[in-house]
Amino acid sequence: MSDAVMHGGVAESVLGPAPIYNDAVVKKFVIASIFWAIVAFLVGVWIATELTWPAANLGLSWINFGRLRPVHTSAAIFAFGGSALFGTSFFVVQRTCRARLWGGEALANFVFWGYQFFIVMAALSYVMGFSQSKEYAEPEWHIDLWLTVVWVCYLLIYVGTLIKRQEPHIYVANWFYLAFIVTVAMLHIVNNMALPISLYAAKSYSVYSGVQDALVQWWYGHNAVGFFLTAGFLGMMYYFIPKAAGRPVYSYRLSIVHFWTLIFLYIWAGPHHLHWTALPDWTQTLGMAFSIMLWMPSWGGMINGIMTLSGAWDKLRTDPGLRFSVTAVGFYGMSTFEGPVMSVRDVNALSHYTDWTIGHVHSGALGWVAFIVFGALYYLVPVLWHRQRLYSTKLVAWHYWIATLGIVLYIVSMWVAGIMQGLMWRAYDQYGFLQYSFVESVVAVHPFYVIRLLGGVFFLSGALIMVYNFYRTITSPTTEAPQAMRPAPIAAPAGAFGVAGE
Amino acid sequence: MDSEPGDFVVGALMAIFGLIGLFLAARAADGEMYVFGLGLVAFAALFILGLIKRRYDRIDAARALVRVRHDV
Amino acid sequence: MPTKIEKDSVTGRETTGHEWDGIKELNTPLPKWWLYVFYACIAWAIGMFILYPSIPYGTGYFKGVLGYSQRRAVDAAVAEVAAQRQASMDKIAALSFADIRKDPALLEVALTDGRITFATNCQPCHGAGGAGRPGYPALAAGAWIWGGTLEDIQQTITHGIRSADPDARQSAMPRFGADGILKPDQIQAVADFVHAKFYGHPPLAADIAEGQKIFAENCAACHGDAGQGNPQMGAPRLASKVHLYGGSLETIVSQVTNPRMGVMPNWNTRLDPATIKALALYVHSLGGGQ
Repeated sequence: MSDAVMHGGVAESVLGPAPIYNDAVVKKFVIASIFWAIVAFLVGVWIATELTWPAANLGLSWINFGRLRPVHTSAAIFAFGGSALFGTSFFVVQRTCRARLWGGEALANFVFWGYQFFIVMAALSYVMGFSQSKEYAEPEWHIDLWLTVVWVCYLLIYVGTLIKRQEPHIYVANWFYLAFIVTVAMLHIVNNMALPISLYAAKSYSVYSGVQDALVQWWYGHNAVGFFLTAGFLGMMYYFIPKAAGRPVYSYRLSIVHFWTLIFLYIWAGPHHLHWTALPDWTQTLGMAFSIMLWMPSWGGMINGIMTLSGAWDKLRTDPGLRFSVTAVGFYGMSTFEGPVMSVRDVNALSHYTDWTIGHVHSGALGWVAFIVFGALYYLVPVLWHRQRLYSTKLVAWHYWIATLGIVLYIVSMWVAGIMQGLMWRAYDQYGFLQYSFVESVVAVHPFYVIRLLGGVFFLSGALIMVYNFYRTITSPTTEAPQAMRPAPIAAPAGAFGVAGE
Repeated sequence: MDSEPGDFVVGALMAIFGLIGLFLAARAADGEMYVFGLGLVAFAALFILGLIKRRYDRIDAARALVRVRHDV
Repeated sequence: MPTKIEKDSVTGRETTGHEWDGIKELNTPLPKWWLYVFYACIAWAIGMFILYPSIPYGTGYFKGVLGYSQRRAVDAAVAEVAAQRQASMDKIAALSFADIRKDPALLEVALTDGRITFATNCQPCHGAGGAGRPGYPALAAGAWIWGGTLEDIQQTITHGIRSADPDARQSAMPRFGADGILKPDQIQAVADFVHAKFYGHPPLAADIAEGQKIFAENCAACHGDAGQGNPQMGAPRLASKVHLYGGSLETIVSQVTNPRMGVMPNWNTRLDPATIKALALYVHSLGGGQ
């Protein structure tokens, strides 16, 4: 083996040195993701408080549960999760393509600030009382249009970078990110088709209605989970786990097969949100059948994520950031088993409309999505800010255990509450009358709402520890990389590549 | 290459969005559209100012580099 | 492009030869169990397509070999439970209140039905256990606006008060203030009188004779000379600790000036006669039944 630096068998002397990547936009998205995480978790804690003690609504329309709930869900999925996806996808696509982001600095900055503008406008509109009343698609038509513009630019940057790549092949993480970007565009546009009552009013009517609207909404809603919260984050997983573990991905073949089966089967699973409703029997059967077939394709991701650790299991002891990522994959496996189970019509007859659904959502959102983001952030922050290491590994461990405890409290309390509700709502006494009124089931689950609130407080606390750790990492002199490790200033003539960093 | 082509495309887009925002706010039928329209105007204005700032930052940085090389 | 396939020392597998930013991939084949479970799920799905309503075509859809229909299944389940209740409900419908009360087992069934029907339908307005809320009469306090016998209660539930039903109970308190029948100072005086004489508070005025006179001329016809009320007309008893809209002077003034007149829905379109009887028995048993 010569001294030549090799990339996929091709010497760097042939490929050229690594280009200067646009890490400025990645840094922005990383900071945004961390900020929105705190906002999302805080609002979550507040609405959990409102559910437990309605006095917390304070009699104010702007912060009542009905208005704050979409603030929480949008902040968690789009602001926190979305910013993490944007940031990591830009980081990963550049490095696995050996190409700087297409479109230049201006387009990348537009995507960042445009997306933040979308988030702020959406949250403001909810608090002001506006909503399309479509779950995870609450923003009205004008905000939807704005997001479409930003998203198209995102797609252009991503595809442009893939096209100008120096690496011959496209790494699997990029297939997942690309599937996420393209499918979300389709989902967003189709579900949000609406007629505004006026060009100047924030009110529109969906082009769909009735049970057709319900199915379009849940085709969208389930695929928001499947492509935004799954495919995108699997892309994240496929980069940050092998990188942090220093091990090759377990099975290339599995990655191909589970990718294609996942993106094909996920699209059909939407009807499982509408079991036992006016949705026709045949549509429910399709949704259930495809949801069950989806089980193994999802577990393909879990297997690849966990088995990539072989040869590096010891790192789980020493690298708490990696511990987050691997635990995330474990929760992913759990949630993608629970999902198909809940898709079975007869199980759904018990679980539908109960808190079990909430428990399921949060085991995925906290256990998989948030944890895989934390794992990626703990890897990324030192790299992006050229620090030798994180400020404190111990704090990462504290974050991990407090957050895990929070998740366990959350999901167990919601399982108990949900099953209790389901059983109480269908209980008949010996005479053949319904045994419990609805309000009795509300009273019965109250203690579990308190426990859920506690779980959320723990999760928020862990995140605050993370914020402190990142702050010290970025600003502390003790984490500075020694002189030799810092990137050398580029001796390029003025105007060749632009200026490195910001 | 102080000005990238992207600067002008995005800048033009932003100008259009800013104008749209102004019209939306002017004839807004409800508070939400008013806030959105004004927000768009502010966003567009700040973004264009940012584009201009970055162009001159790039020029300054390149000049500083040239000076360093000549000093060395 | 040339690729550099290496052998991984830990697992013994070969890499694919590609590398991105230091990441490589192993050539591990698909886990057998994964593949077999996947095939089993596909087989299950195909089985479901055959057995249950599944594939749509044009205007129809394949109904499935089992001929399953969710609506039929739910209807059957509901009917099964209704059948379980049928014998008891038929007896309750046929027998008089007195006869039902003589049969402890049947009364038990009726009270059980009454309790859950009340909790589901009546509690949102009348409060848990019939405790009442401002504007919604208390049912457990013995303060009956339209009479508290079992027959009275049954009538009220069946036809409602000021509801859309042609046999609804109707009453109307004159709008003494809004229609200018009494002047504001007169209303103040009679309210003070009622607040003192019937609600038991110290009067504001030095002499309540003026208020008493106004009461005798305007209110006694419905509410009775001693404020005892008139269940035939639906005029509430004023000489009571139970107040429909609250016990403050302001509430009395407000009610005399511009009377609120609540609406109770008629339940004859929502509940069957046997259930209404059971409900009447339950409400009567809350305490204060006549």
